[in-house]
Amino acid sequence: MARMKFICDTERCIECNGCVTACKNDNEVPWGVNRRRVVTVNDGIIGQEKSVSVACMHCSDAPCMAVCPVDCFYRTDEGVVLHDKDICIGCGYCSFACPFGAPQFLSKGAFGSRSKMDKCTFCSGGPEENGSVAEFEKYGRNRLAEGKLPLCAEMCSTKALIGGDSDIISGIFNNRVATREKNGKYPGSKAFGWNTAYGGPDAPAPTPTPAAKIPGAQ
Amino acid sequence: MKVNFKTLGMCFAAAALLAACSEPPEIAAKAAKRPDVAPYMGANNGFMTKNWTPGNQASWTESIDKRNQGQNEYSRVK
Repeated sequence: MARMKFICDTERCIECNGCVTACKNDNEVPWGVNRRRVVTVNDGIIGQEKSVSVACMHCSDAPCMAVCPVDCFYRTDEGVVLHDKDICIGCGYCSFACPFGAPQFLSKGAFGSRSKMDKCTFCSGGPEENGSVAEFEKYGRNRLAEGKLPLCAEMCSTKALIGGDSDIISGIFNNRVATREKNGKYPGSKAFGWNTAYGGPDAPAPTPTPAAKIPGAQ
Repeated sequence: MKVNFKTLGMCFAAAALLAACSEPPEIAAKAAKRPDVAPYMGANNGFMTKNWTPGNQASWTESIDKRNQGQNEYSRVK
C-alpha cells in the first residue's frame, strides 16, 4: 500500500508561492487560513537563501493525533492524516503539538473565538462521501479519489515540491541528488535523506555578504 | 408579624444547597468517528481521470504510480 508523502527540494524552490495559491484556489480555503505556505530562511545572503514549502507532513507518528482530546484524527490506508470536523472542538492542542504549524484556525468572532481546525488533507477530503458537495465544503477537493495527486505538487513549476507514494518520490529525489553529486554539487554526500534534502549534511553556517561586495547593491 | 430570621436563613441555605439538584444532565452524545471511504472507490463527480476502474485498488494504484512519475523530469525527457 502506498504511503503518501511530500518532499520539498530546497535547491529548486524559488518562492513563487504557486503551491499556496493552487491550494487556496482548488480547495476554496477561506481568507486567514493557509494550509500550505512557503518559508524562506537566510534572506539576502547570497547563495544561502533557501525556501521550503510547508504543510501537513502526514507524520507516521503524528503528534496532533496523540494530543487530540476528542480523538478526531485518523490515518487512512494511504498514510494520510485526516480529521473529522464534526468531532473537532477547535481547542487548538494540535496546533501546539505540530512542529510544522500545519493546523490552522479561522478567527471569526469576538474574544478570540476560533473555528474548527483546518489543515492540508493531501487533497483526499474527509469522512464524507467521496467527491460530494459536503466533503468539498468541509475539507476541500478529494483529488486522490479522482485518480490525481495533490494540486500543489502537480502544478509546481520547478518540481521542487513533489508528492505521492513515498517510495516513488524518494526515488525521484534520490536521482536528483545523485545527478547533482555527479555534477559537483555536494560532493561526497552520497546518502539520500532529510539532511540531503534540506541543505546537505555538512552545510557551512551562512556568512552574511557585506553590501559593498554585492555588485549594484546600495 | 414577627419574622423568624433563623427559619428564613435556613430556608435560603436549603434552597442554595438544593439548587444544583434540579439541573438537567449535560452529557453530550458520544461523538463517533465515521469510516472514510478509500480513494480507490472513486469520486462521485465528473472530475475523475479515465484510466482506472473505480473500486479496483490495483488499477487505482497503478494509475497513481504512473501519475507520480509525471513529476520526474528525468523520465519525461528521455
